[in-house]
Amino acid sequence: MYFDLHCHSVSSDDSRATVEQYLKWIQVLRKRGYTVDGIVLTEHRKFDFDKDYAQLANDYGVVVLKGSELDTRFGHFLVYNVSQGLADDIDFADVRMDARELMKAAQHHGALAIPAHPGRFGIGLVEFMDKGEIFEDVKIVERLNGGGRPGENERADELCDSQGYLGTGASDAHLASHVCVCMTNFEMDISNETDLVAALLSGNFSPVRLEETSIG
Amino acid sequence: MALELEYDRSLYGKEHEAGPFEVTEDMIISFNQSISQAGPCYNNKDAAVEAGYRGIIAPPTLCTLFVRRVQLPDINLKFGKTRFHGGQRVQAKAPIVAGDSISASSHLKEVYAKTGRSGTMVFIVWETTFTNQLGEVVADVQESYAARE
Repeated sequence: MYFDLHCHSVSSDDSRATVEQYLKWIQVLRKRGYTVDGIVLTEHRKFDFDKDYAQLANDYGVVVLKGSELDTRFGHFLVYNVSQGLADDIDFADVRMDARELMKAAQHHGALAIPAHPGRFGIGLVEFMDKGEIFEDVKIVERLNGGGRPGENERADELCDSQGYLGTGASDAHLASHVCVCMTNFEMDISNETDLVAALLSGNFSPVRLEETSIG
Repeated sequence: MALELEYDRSLYGKEHEAGPFEVTEDMIISFNQSISQAGPCYNNKDAAVEAGYRGIIAPPTLCTLFVRRVQLPDINLKFGKTRFHGGQRVQAKAPIVAGDSISASSHLKEVYAKTGRSGTMVFIVWETTFTNQLGEVVADVQESYAARE
């Protein structure tokens, strides 16, 4: 299954895309011969417990999952399978939280936190590792980010190759037409957030660009 | 240690008002020219009335002309040395029509921090509600100001 693991709706302060606009654009992509199975909404510094996209997902035939992108002292982290328990333990609005504590808390609550755009200049995980910081719990990173500047994905590639990290792919979309430019190809079926974490922990996935999903 | 934002939190819940502002045909026509809006309902009264409006209608973003007429207090944010405009969002609720008289009411919506390539920034978000003489809300405008270290 092909999933975009990182995108933002109008619920994020800097996005202009509604969820329905994303799903409509995915229909366009499918008509063009590309394969898209699902998206994960990773809103900035929050988790939308109260938002239910089940009807939209059913209407458009796209799996819509929810997650978060949190700011930490060591860059941004994508968090999947967020629960109330995790949200009670971690202040999602604290931009200076310790990413290592976040990862441990996520694991404790059955969630998974991975570094977003680790090669991003100024704020990617690479920046902090180059300064000597160690992150023992990192095993998976966002290797392919659709919003990266030239050189940033290459830095993520080097990181994965040197550290043996597994890598995901995602768009980091903030506009409708940018969704799914990069995705993750999973061997397992995914229908909910718990499945997503299980699929990531299985290690059976790879980052892909939209063009690689063409069925024509 | 968490980033503690220091600012005047007593401003939450307070409304700051301005207006009413008269929306004239000349104002609308001039605004249309600046944004290349050539649609008939925006420029021709007969066309607008035929379409069901009370008169020529203004582009939804016209109310941004009035946002700065609201006198907003300094929130005394203790962060950063540089301030700059962080963007606007306009949510159109009802047509603004030539001859309308619209009033503005602004409140502090939120103050939050975020991090990016250039470091930590703090955003101050003001929300302004515009209401016409009929008591209809015609637009909500969110305007952000950013502070950088």
